[in-house]
Amino acid sequence: MTDPLPLSGRQPRAVRSALAVLEEVVAAGPGITAKEISAALRLPQATTYRLLNLLVDEEYLVRLPDLRGFALGRRAARLALPLTPVPSTAARAVVAHLRGMVRWGVHLASFATGHVELVDTDPDHPPAEPALIARYPHASALGKLLLAEQPQWRAVVRDLRRFTEHTVDAAELDRQLAGIAEVELARQCGELRADRGCLAVPVRSPDGTTLVAGLALAGPPNRVAEPNEELVALLREHATRLAPLLA
Amino acid sequence: MRYGPLAALRHRSPVHGLDRRNLGPAEVIAQSVSCAAPAAGMATVPAIVATSAGSATVWSFVLATVLAVLVAACIGSFTRRMAAAGSLYSLTSKGLPPGAAFASCAAIVAGYLVLVMAALTGASIYFDALMARFGWAAPPAVGAAAALALAAVAGALVLRGVRLSARTVLAVEAVSIALMLVIFAVLLATATPAPPGGAAEPGLAGVAAGVLPALGAFIGFEAATTLGVEARRPFSSVPRAVLGTAAVVGLLSIVAAVTQVRGFDGGLGGQPEPVVTLAAAHGTSWLAVLLDAGITTSFVACTLATTNALVRVLFSMGRDKIVPRALGRTHARYRTPHIAIAVALPVAAAVPAALLGAGTPGQDVLRILLTIATAGFLVGYLLVCLAAPLFLRRIGELTPGPVIITAVTVPALAATCIAFLLSALDGPVPVVLAGLLAAVLGWYVWLRLRHPDRLAAIGVYDETSAADVHPARVP
Repeated sequence: MTDPLPLSGRQPRAVRSALAVLEEVVAAGPGITAKEISAALRLPQATTYRLLNLLVDEEYLVRLPDLRGFALGRRAARLALPLTPVPSTAARAVVAHLRGMVRWGVHLASFATGHVELVDTDPDHPPAEPALIARYPHASALGKLLLAEQPQWRAVVRDLRRFTEHTVDAAELDRQLAGIAEVELARQCGELRADRGCLAVPVRSPDGTTLVAGLALAGPPNRVAEPNEELVALLREHATRLAPLLA
Repeated sequence: MRYGPLAALRHRSPVHGLDRRNLGPAEVIAQSVSCAAPAAGMATVPAIVATSAGSATVWSFVLATVLAVLVAACIGSFTRRMAAAGSLYSLTSKGLPPGAAFASCAAIVAGYLVLVMAALTGASIYFDALMARFGWAAPPAVGAAAALALAAVAGALVLRGVRLSARTVLAVEAVSIALMLVIFAVLLATATPAPPGGAAEPGLAGVAAGVLPALGAFIGFEAATTLGVEARRPFSSVPRAVLGTAAVVGLLSIVAAVTQVRGFDGGLGGQPEPVVTLAAAHGTSWLAVLLDAGITTSFVACTLATTNALVRVLFSMGRDKIVPRALGRTHARYRTPHIAIAVALPVAAAVPAALLGAGTPGQDVLRILLTIATAGFLVGYLLVCLAAPLFLRRIGELTPGPVIITAVTVPALAATCIAFLLSALDGPVPVVLAGLLAAVLGWYVWLRLRHPDRLAAIGVYDETSAADVHPARVP
């Protein structure tokens, strides 16, 4: 009934046991109970419960709503490098077709890993800050598409870092995400770098439910801020063509 | 698409709307410590305990500390596994049937509500006492106005977000405990043990009788359980805060008891202002000013922390739909239960303001309110301790430890409850308690008849939602 033992580097058995518990949850699938884990690993019950509570506290595991069963938590995803899906030749051909029609940078990002992964970037207009786009979704049009899909964007965004004077704050992001969910178009005007802007539309699975990717046009911020109706129509048309190739 | 156990996950937590996972451990523990208001307890409770325990007062505090730590362990069985905003009733509902959870709910709401009233009263009368030391004797209306003003400030802070209110609580409580430590260090350093008097040994019965008032110094120590949703790491910070508060309050109370028992040598019982008398006896009467300042700040922090706790319990009840659902709404920007604040605080402020304004002696008001609050908390503690092993058995994680703890704690708490009933037989307390009991029973019967489904589903908590699990898709 005391606090979980503090783990130090001198307790290799505890670390080994904790990893074994994690593996057991993965192997058995969601819903496995503490007692089952204890039996499968032949760990003493009290030890198992303490390790489970520790792993839940660290968010590597979660307790399911019945409070008995366990499943992998969101944080466990950080233990493995996410596999970035390579788009098929057919999909790349659709993106290349769009590049031939506009004078903007055309980028395709996958959301399959839960992050913004640029999977096909424009070789003639390379994206300005590819590393930042994945880490700070609030500052890019593609990232906002992903955030608009989350039940609670605060669970995903740890740091609303300000890059320029146009970078959004929490209240503005709330407002924009509501709009994005409605019109299925995200916009970013000089929010990551003052001289760049972006328009992005979602690519959804053909049944229209799951968000799988985003297709973006990058250009000067003043051009992005315009209505761009023809351009957006073109973008949406290509996103629709991409849907069956990516989902 | 998700299959199996993950298919049933909610899209968002049933307690959405609060500022989820945003409070550090210091702010969580400040909530519990402030609710228990150790500084105010250190100055007043030992003299009350001494009326039954005499020179064995310290032992009563030791026993009460052990009991509080065991209750904290029972609460920990829950809070290491679930995060809730509804304090003990959310926890109790996972181990006991809905009727018992409802009883816990009513007891804990009454406990927090009356504790807010008591804290407002305490802050007001000790502020008056502080002013009186500077030669300004305030009329009763000023006390009432002070209580109303403090309630307004508390409401604004609690509304403006849990971080702001939790940090204010932390700062104010740190000041009050620091003041108390200075006072008791000076008293211990300057005090020479009084010549042995003829104090009779009170015996075991006296020690046991002293446990009930000593436990009064702890009530509110479970308040961190209302921050389960908002704590950054609830499964470690909440149980640590509750256990740590039981230990810290116990330690401070024991220091206070040792100092005062030594200073009076058997004559402590019934002293109206023991610390002030001690200070005057040792030529350090300036301590009285520090003392009144420390007690006032302690009650101010207690007001804030208890309001935080009260509105979150009301919020949970709103989400459980056992009170009007509007109480479960949260402010879009501040992410606090603003309707619950608007409903609860005027009630909590009106009672002490009316009583003080009518000229009722402040100390009597404070004592009666604290007695009523204690009744609520005792019921809450008893039920949560009973629920702990049943909860663990239900989820298949029962070990011998919690069973032994409950086997010790429940009889001890039950005995304390009986002692409480016997001690509270005269005065207005039984009338108020009977009235509350009748109201709760009526409310229960109404729910049973009209909304049995809501009653059966009582106990909303921050359950795992789809966003919390590993995003991998099952093929």
